[in-house]
Amino acid sequence: MWMRVSDLDRMFGVMDLLNARINSMFGDYDRSYGNDYGGCLVTEGTPRTNIYDAGDHFEIMAEVPGLTKEDLNLRIQGNYLEISGTRKTDAPEGYKAHRVERETAPFTRCFTLPVDVDAEKVDASLNNGILIMTLPKTEAVKPKQLTIN
Amino acid sequence: MNNKTELVTREETTPVQSRQIPVVAPEVDIYEDNDEILLNAELPGVAKEDVTVNVDNGKLTITGIRKMFAAGAAKWAEFGDVEYRRIFSVPQTIDVAKVNAELRDGVLRLHLPKSETAKPRQIEIKAA
Repeated sequence: MWMRVSDLDRMFGVMDLLNARINSMFGDYDRSYGNDYGGCLVTEGTPRTNIYDAGDHFEIMAEVPGLTKEDLNLRIQGNYLEISGTRKTDAPEGYKAHRVERETAPFTRCFTLPVDVDAEKVDASLNNGILIMTLPKTEAVKPKQLTIN
Repeated sequence: MNNKTELVTREETTPVQSRQIPVVAPEVDIYEDNDEILLNAELPGVAKEDVTVNVDNGKLTITGIRKMFAAGAAKWAEFGDVEYRRIFSVPQTIDVAKVNAELRDGVLRLHLPKSETAKPRQIEIKAA
């Protein structure tokens, strides 16, 4: 009998779910970041990033909880991008610490983008602890619409 | 030859849940002084509406759901949709009615004030 592709797909989906469940049984000792993200591990303390290519610009997001725009430093040169930041401990005065898990060390992360970006037109904003950067590509590498004669 | 008799195509009768949003524990700092316990939890990307803080029967549950949007073809993605969830046991001395929380820059700050009877008290010794 023919097995439909959707059935196969569903079967693999269920297997993934089971796998995730079994993994999470062992991951509860500590925080379970890592495996759930497809094995993409970042060294402790470096913000995780997402990079999207939207045709005429790149969109870069980074997790920077607790940082204000004064704590962050962005540098762009051609296709080289550097994000660095300092974290201040927000431990209140006169309190006894029970648990300190949040990172307080400064960090730097560098990227080499596939093409040059226009450093003058870069836009960066912070939203709920996520840094969102829009980096327009230089005119020379932007996709062009061709008209057919 | 096709000998199927159904007039309409069969709907899937057993929907299977095959996708699950990963659940992770947020990183927290916990501080205490004579008046309150202060809990700072990192919830980057979670909007205020998507955070719930629940104190029930000595258990404090913090949850937050983050929904990310894709802004094009992903070159790489190290984080995405996630559910933050963490449960703590809180001492009975916490005044539940006065618990307050604020969310700023992706950090949830939760103030758990101690009830008056639980605060340390200096006892004055009277001269006889």
